[in-house]
Amino acid sequence: MTTSAQTVIAPVRAGTAADSVTARRKQGFQHGGWFVAPFLVLFALFVIWPLLRGVWLSFTDANISGDSASFVGLDNYREALQDPLVWDTLGHSAYFTLLVVPCITVLAFLLAMLAHHIERGKWLWRLCFFAPFLLPSTVAANLWQWLFNPGTGMINYVFGIETPWLTDKSYAMLAVVICTLWWTVGFSFLLYLAALQGIPGHLYEAAKLDGANAWHRMVHITLPMLRNITGLVIALQILASLQVFDQAVVMMDFLPGPEGSTRTFVQYTLEEGFTSYRVGYASAISVIFFVIIAAVALARMWLLRNREESAR
Amino acid sequence: MSTAAQPRKPWTPSQIVLTLLGTAVSAAFLAPFAWALFTSLKSETEAVQVPPHWLPEDWTGQAWKALFETGNITNWFVNSVVVSVCVTSVVLLVSALAGYGFARTEFRGKSALMGLVMAGLMISPAVLGVPLFTTVQQMGMVDTYWGMILPQCAPAAMVYILYKFFQGIPRELEEAAFIDGAGRWRVFFTIVLPLSRPSLAAVGIFTFIASWNNFLWPYMVTNNPDLMTMPNGIATVMNSYGIQWAQLMAGGLMAGLPLIIVFVFFQRQIVAGVAHTGLAGQ
Amino acid sequence: MGRPDLNRRQLLGGLGGLFVASGFGFAALGTGADALATDADTRVRYWNLFSGGDGYNMIAMLNSFREDHPAVAVKDSTLQWGSPFYTKLAMAAAGNRAPDLGVMHMGRVTGFSPGRLLDAWDTDLLAKYGVRKQDFNPQLWNRGVIDGKLYAVPLDIHVQLCFYRKDVLKKAGLLGDDGRIVPVTSTEEWFDVLKEARKATKKGLQTIGLWNSDQNFQWWFFVAFYTQLGGTWFNDADTDVTFDTGKATQVLEFLRRHITDGYANPAFAGPAGAEQFVNGSPFVWEGNWSVPVFDTAKVEYGATPLPPVFGRPATHAESHAFVLPHQSDRGGPANEGAHQLAAYIVRHAQQWALGGHIPAYRPVLSTAAYKKMSPQNEYVSAMDHQATEPKVWFAGSTGILAQRVGPIVVSSTMGSARPETAARRMKSELTRLLATKNPMDGRTAAQGGAVA
Repeated sequence: MTTSAQTVIAPVRAGTAADSVTARRKQGFQHGGWFVAPFLVLFALFVIWPLLRGVWLSFTDANISGDSASFVGLDNYREALQDPLVWDTLGHSAYFTLLVVPCITVLAFLLAMLAHHIERGKWLWRLCFFAPFLLPSTVAANLWQWLFNPGTGMINYVFGIETPWLTDKSYAMLAVVICTLWWTVGFSFLLYLAALQGIPGHLYEAAKLDGANAWHRMVHITLPMLRNITGLVIALQILASLQVFDQAVVMMDFLPGPEGSTRTFVQYTLEEGFTSYRVGYASAISVIFFVIIAAVALARMWLLRNREESAR
Repeated sequence: MSTAAQPRKPWTPSQIVLTLLGTAVSAAFLAPFAWALFTSLKSETEAVQVPPHWLPEDWTGQAWKALFETGNITNWFVNSVVVSVCVTSVVLLVSALAGYGFARTEFRGKSALMGLVMAGLMISPAVLGVPLFTTVQQMGMVDTYWGMILPQCAPAAMVYILYKFFQGIPRELEEAAFIDGAGRWRVFFTIVLPLSRPSLAAVGIFTFIASWNNFLWPYMVTNNPDLMTMPNGIATVMNSYGIQWAQLMAGGLMAGLPLIIVFVFFQRQIVAGVAHTGLAGQ
Repeated sequence: MGRPDLNRRQLLGGLGGLFVASGFGFAALGTGADALATDADTRVRYWNLFSGGDGYNMIAMLNSFREDHPAVAVKDSTLQWGSPFYTKLAMAAAGNRAPDLGVMHMGRVTGFSPGRLLDAWDTDLLAKYGVRKQDFNPQLWNRGVIDGKLYAVPLDIHVQLCFYRKDVLKKAGLLGDDGRIVPVTSTEEWFDVLKEARKATKKGLQTIGLWNSDQNFQWWFFVAFYTQLGGTWFNDADTDVTFDTGKATQVLEFLRRHITDGYANPAFAGPAGAEQFVNGSPFVWEGNWSVPVFDTAKVEYGATPLPPVFGRPATHAESHAFVLPHQSDRGGPANEGAHQLAAYIVRHAQQWALGGHIPAYRPVLSTAAYKKMSPQNEYVSAMDHQATEPKVWFAGSTGILAQRVGPIVVSSTMGSARPETAARRMKSELTRLLATKNPMDGRTAAQGGAVA
């Protein structure tokens, strides 16, 4: 890699022992390239290259066979902006996100409070709330498909209702959301739990001495102390929820749900690429999606920085 | 841990209420598992009886037997193990090296590369599936183990987590070793790595869970049923021939139980691992 | 740190290393598994998309081929049905790594760029191995002919059927002396049958399951009844849409009426229809692949093609067909082996009928063994009354046409759009699709020249 001037010069100047020590100390931290190289190779091959390739393909009419693509300029993007399915499916993913994120955040917090405050059997509560997260998405989806199954499913039976969860467009996405809550809340729950355990106990004791009741302690100590973690949970959930795919397709048997109501954006890109064979167009809408995801991620970074600055 | 030494805490009314509440919520969380288990012990006909009932009238292992006799589930299990083990070990090695490289060494273009890696946090197969697929296809790796494994081996997030961790290790430890004449690689393997065992465990555990449960990428890159992993095989092959719920539930439990059992035994490490990897994103 | 501790750690480390190493060993093996050499003179690589019960039957047929023809080594790969299968086949053909023989849905052949991604069959060679046009339903055979060349050899047709429970229908007085359902020839008769059947149905069960919310099934049913009405899609040159919204409305109203009259419960709109059937619901419309499912469930049932309520019998039919994925150097023994293998399986499709499919090779249908198969013998007539999708590039099993138009049918059946509105939407979607270019060759249906 790079031969820095210092390494070359160091031995020459090594007049005193102290100098030599400094040089060696510095030398130790040189030439990090080799440490990073293996990762960079994989990263370049499977992240950067596909990204560049996707951008290139999005300007072509490439099909799935991989041959004879020709440059079509902005045609794919122009089409995407007018494609009602792009907007519909973006809407579905956004709707899913809008439902999942607040529910998961609140639920995870409540579960964490519960598990934190019960003095006995902590490991048991942790296990119960976290176990679903250890299932593969497809298994969780199959499980809820079975629970929602009309006639033979337990949900309708237990609650004595006849809701067409999976076959009516007004319930289908809700069913996917419920499955997702059960399946993934455990992760955010653990984050909250760890954060709760990290709150210094003396804060509470001081408040108790001041006569604050449990509610006040929660509002004035717990919630502010959990502000960072809440921001993190929300950000992670937004990014993950926008990319929803697995649960929706498996619960709907790989179809877009009743009247297309659970077709998510990821599902649409894959349909365009692999069912309609339109790799160029699928790449274009993937790039659009990437821009949206990146915007969300950057917005979070920006918010974080602002907050840090105002805290200073 | 230290609870054993302390005297047992008394059952205050609020503790009783909380415990009851916890029990109820836990029951709700576990009920789907129980339903899956009971379904898997019914005959296919009994499973679809209307109205449903919790416990099988005829307890039968036919679904489990059929699962092993007719399906490729043992193949899938082996494939899942192979893929997850390979992904986890490559990720650990590669991201530990890279994290250290970024945290503690100097080289030209470091900050630019670091920025690139941060940008990589936003890219996943869900976002760039189609171009990633055509790339892997060009390399001739569709329907191979490598095709499943390698694209999962460049997680920018794990590099970032370890980078943060390595930054927190006091420099003096390494400097002392350098002064003693130790090479950089020796310092890395004999001093830095042992110090970071908890972080490595966290990254390893998290990677293993993610890889074991990964569906989207294996789904895109394999369609040979012999090469599928558990989540993929269950979702695609088992679902495609008239859903047999008892078998499907048995298969789902097969796919989910290994991690849950592991969790019961290594709970402390896994909880720390998940929390650690998650919290590092702060 | 005591010694035992160190030993244990070493042991664990060693075991872990071994575990990881064997993982990588496995991974390395998996890459090269396809390169297995063989001693046989001819080696035929064959990709099929059959797993489950169909896979079992296919492998049995392959094995009997292997016994009869030891000189031909068949290397079969089973791939999962669905879009990835077509993707992979397309890319292998484009990248010149295609297998010698493949399976596809007939309706997808036109869109799969025949001539570029698919090679034409050598009809003389097929005839040598006993497969000739006259042994097939001509309409079915011609679906595989494009620009005058044969690109697909049909193995079967698979059709949408009306399954009925004999026990319930007997109670309702709807079984004839032959133990089969009474014939139905008009919509009124059909709804009368449903009315009687409902009276004999256990409480809590719906009368008929018809996948109201499933875009594929609803689309298939639509194609069937629209064909019964003599409806057409496009003109011969594929330049104009001839879709008849009046007829379409009639079909959509018919489908919708099952729900408004309370025979099909929207709560059981999906696969639950089959479960209701097993529980005692009298009717379900399903694909013939449900035959083994209901056999296993030990249901006393029969199955007919979809009722000819608009006069002319027709039921939706798709077909599994053998294709030759493009190889730039196609020819020689492997190619002849592919012809031989395909011909053999087509001609020995008795076993295939166990999966409910109707063998395409008609001599099989007249064997005593086939005539004994029940309920296969009850719906074999479907072979002569096939309702198929139009022969355009965007058609085919779960293809773009079904994906775009199917949801519109569902919206009418489920009641979120009026039948007339849905029919109009279908027409405008068909118009749009007709003007769309096939991504494989950049030509529209009219320019494609893909029609025989």
